[in-house]
Amino acid sequence: MSNDKNSSRVSSKLELNKINRKFGHVTALAGLNLTVEPGELVALLGPSGCGKTTALRIVAGLESADSGSLVVNGVSYLDKPANERDMGMVFQSYSLFPNMTVAENIEYGLRVRKIEATKRKQIINEKLELVALGEKANSYPHQLSGGQQQRVALARALAIEPTVLLLDEPLSALDAQVRSQIREEIRRIQLNLGITTLFVTHDQEEAMSIADRVGVMSHGKLEQIDKPIAIYNNPATPFVASFVGQANKIPAQVTERGNVKVLGQKIQLSKHSAEIADGRSVTALIRPESLHIVSDSDPEGTSGQVVIKSFLGPLTKLGITIEGGLLVHLNVSSKEVRKIEIGDRISIMIVAEEVMVESA
Amino acid sequence: MEKEAVANRSEGTARRSFSLSNLTFPLLPFFTFVGFFLLWPILAVTIRSLKGNKNEWTLENYRPLIHGSYFHAFVVSIKLASITALIGALLGGLFAYVIVNSAGPKLTSVLDSISAVFANSGGVPLAFMFIAAFGTEGLFTRFLKAVGWDIYAGKFTLFSFTGVVMVYSFFQIPLMILVFKPALQGLRKEWSEASINLGANSITYWRRVVIPILTPSFLGAFFLLFAGGFSAYATARAMTVGTVPLVPIIIGTLVDGNVISNEANLGDALAVGMIFVAGVAMSGYLLAQRRANRWRTT
Amino acid sequence: MKISLNRILTVGLVLILALLIFILPLVAASEFSFRGAGGKGHSFINYVWLIHQEGFVSHLLTSLQLALLSGILNLALMVPTAVLLHLKLAKWRSLVEFICILPLIIPVVSLAIGAQVAMPKFVQNSQYELVFFFVIIALPFTYRTLDTSLSSIDLKTLVEASRSLGASWPATIIRVIIPSIKGGITGALFLSFALAIGEFTITSLLHWDTFPTWTVVAAQQNILGAIALSVFSFVGAVLLMVMIAMFSNRRKSKSNSQLQEVAP
Repeated sequence: MSNDKNSSRVSSKLELNKINRKFGHVTALAGLNLTVEPGELVALLGPSGCGKTTALRIVAGLESADSGSLVVNGVSYLDKPANERDMGMVFQSYSLFPNMTVAENIEYGLRVRKIEATKRKQIINEKLELVALGEKANSYPHQLSGGQQQRVALARALAIEPTVLLLDEPLSALDAQVRSQIREEIRRIQLNLGITTLFVTHDQEEAMSIADRVGVMSHGKLEQIDKPIAIYNNPATPFVASFVGQANKIPAQVTERGNVKVLGQKIQLSKHSAEIADGRSVTALIRPESLHIVSDSDPEGTSGQVVIKSFLGPLTKLGITIEGGLLVHLNVSSKEVRKIEIGDRISIMIVAEEVMVESA
Repeated sequence: MEKEAVANRSEGTARRSFSLSNLTFPLLPFFTFVGFFLLWPILAVTIRSLKGNKNEWTLENYRPLIHGSYFHAFVVSIKLASITALIGALLGGLFAYVIVNSAGPKLTSVLDSISAVFANSGGVPLAFMFIAAFGTEGLFTRFLKAVGWDIYAGKFTLFSFTGVVMVYSFFQIPLMILVFKPALQGLRKEWSEASINLGANSITYWRRVVIPILTPSFLGAFFLLFAGGFSAYATARAMTVGTVPLVPIIIGTLVDGNVISNEANLGDALAVGMIFVAGVAMSGYLLAQRRANRWRTT
Repeated sequence: MKISLNRILTVGLVLILALLIFILPLVAASEFSFRGAGGKGHSFINYVWLIHQEGFVSHLLTSLQLALLSGILNLALMVPTAVLLHLKLAKWRSLVEFICILPLIIPVVSLAIGAQVAMPKFVQNSQYELVFFFVIIALPFTYRTLDTSLSSIDLKTLVEASRSLGASWPATIIRVIIPSIKGGITGALFLSFALAIGEFTITSLLHWDTFPTWTVVAAQQNILGAIALSVFSFVGAVLLMVMIAMFSNRRKSKSNSQLQEVAP
């Protein structure tokens, strides 16, 4: 049965090797290497134009690669026509056939595979149950909300029992509230079925919250691929550090090799930063949670004036202008900042073992 | 108390009717204009068609329409409209498909403008151009004669049913492109990609998605072309006076020629008959449009 | 999308077909129009002949005048109507849209007969009655053009912004609304003008004499001259439209790049 996690029908290993793709003069993918283990959900995260959607479409067969290899369960797939790849894809929007009901949409792939009527009905009902839309079987897409349409799209993709599930920014067109609901549903279903999944998005919260591993992409290359917590805590490149989570960009200077002088403090330089000569000016990337409030008499502290105070629930975000007019943000527990108001002067300090820099 | 209530009520009514006229008054020029110059003439001709010589209500004027030469004229007109609409729909549909799938944005807008000009051509210049090209001394005729095909050797003449079909197609095809292209552009790339992804080939996609979605628009466009081909006057007038029995032409000759008293009302009946046929076609168009828009999600 | 030999063949075939159907008659007619006297040789003689005919200028002026009047009247009637429909009277939209489709349904021939029956004597005695009927005939096209143009801007918001900044209604109309739909207005004016200048059916049925009807009469004397004119006007119209299309595209991309320079 399809719910058997160990059945090879739903668990494939996906390997992309040195994939290159150019559109005219624009390089979309520059030697992409990516492996998705069976049953894993890998999210490809990056800004528009980074190549994540191109990579997904190459896996689906909707785009071709200039060079490289795509191997699924040991079989080379690059030359396989897109309609023989047995992969289920969910598009960003508008992918349901408007002239068919929900049930007929889900049935589409099954009829292509010549599955007989009673079995089709069974599968349709199963998948509708899975996405909790049982009562909408005879509705048309234009009668459904955006979130419902995407759930149907998911059911339709899963109905054919694909070996790989591909999702191309499936939540981007939805309202914020619906978005978090459905992304949890997608993850729940994916874990339940144990299906290998590639999920493309530009929203880091989305990627970090549901993926087993997150691959951060930029300019056609994979900058880092690792578990979400590793990406966040140990960014491998300045791009990852500033793209994932928030980062204050503070002017700093490399002192003797291995150390950085920033905000009057000397901190060890992160080993992932590029090789930069001593004495060079750089930009340090400091996470808001690495900035702490200290007493004004602390010699290592930097003084600044509060200009922004945003209540975010358990945390409050403070915006402080320090020397040179630079605005930095820090997140502090709301209890701690109860007495601090806009206009107050406070002192802050960096608390971190190492710091990531990029060239100024 | 009662008087107050009545006074309040009438004040309220007065206020309501004031605001209502406040709203409709700006549209009054439009409705007056259209009412006087469009609706009233149509109503007038319909009324007059139902009146006999002594101003009584009668259907006498419609009698000649249901048999004989006038009926034949309707048949010919409908035949002409159907054939040119079909040619326009098929060829125009083909051209529209190629344009949508293969032309870049700049080329598309250029082709759009060209289509607009061609579609609104018709009338006398068009007839003249075809006479120039295919007439007895036309370039085409000479060229074909040179390659051994004397088109005038037989009974062919431009001033015939076939000739009119040829000329009408010249504007029916571009009109189809203009009207049908939006429907083709409405076919989302995601649908074809989803279909591929689900394992289907192009034939299945066409059969199960494209044709069901495009059919209402296609039929609607056909009806529009039909109505146009049926009502066209100027082109046919320049090419066929007397040679091909078409209802618009007959009305024209009735108007131009000496009007015998009961023939005047015959013209009215013919005019109303035309409205009826064109009206049926346009209802077909409107119904098809409604159907086509049924599934729109955007 | 993969470009295959199949696709190139199909496109190529269709192109050839299109050429045959549309370009060849034009070319043949053009060739015909350049034929010299007695059908021998080629020259501009036919183009010149028509211009020298008595009545050419007077009839052309008549047509131009009627076309201009109908264009202006069309705008004067439809711009306020369309703007009002988009601003507040939305529930009348379907009715107005239906009415604006009617001139496509009702054959012009029937309208002409109706005009003869319904119009009072003083109207029928003036050739300016044509102006009104030209407006009616052009209604579907002008309404559609204005409607599309208005739908592409957020009129309500613009007007509210203008009013909230203190502008009076006339100022709002002149400085906000009209500039925003400039394209639609020009298009509508052009369409109704073009329609009016070439209109033959209702003119001839109501027994008026404008440029198109005069051309037909002149054609009976010298078919070549009439053909020359037809070719000229047709080719001219095509070239004009193509130029307008290319020009408006370039303007769009130019203003886009200007925006990019301004934006950081």
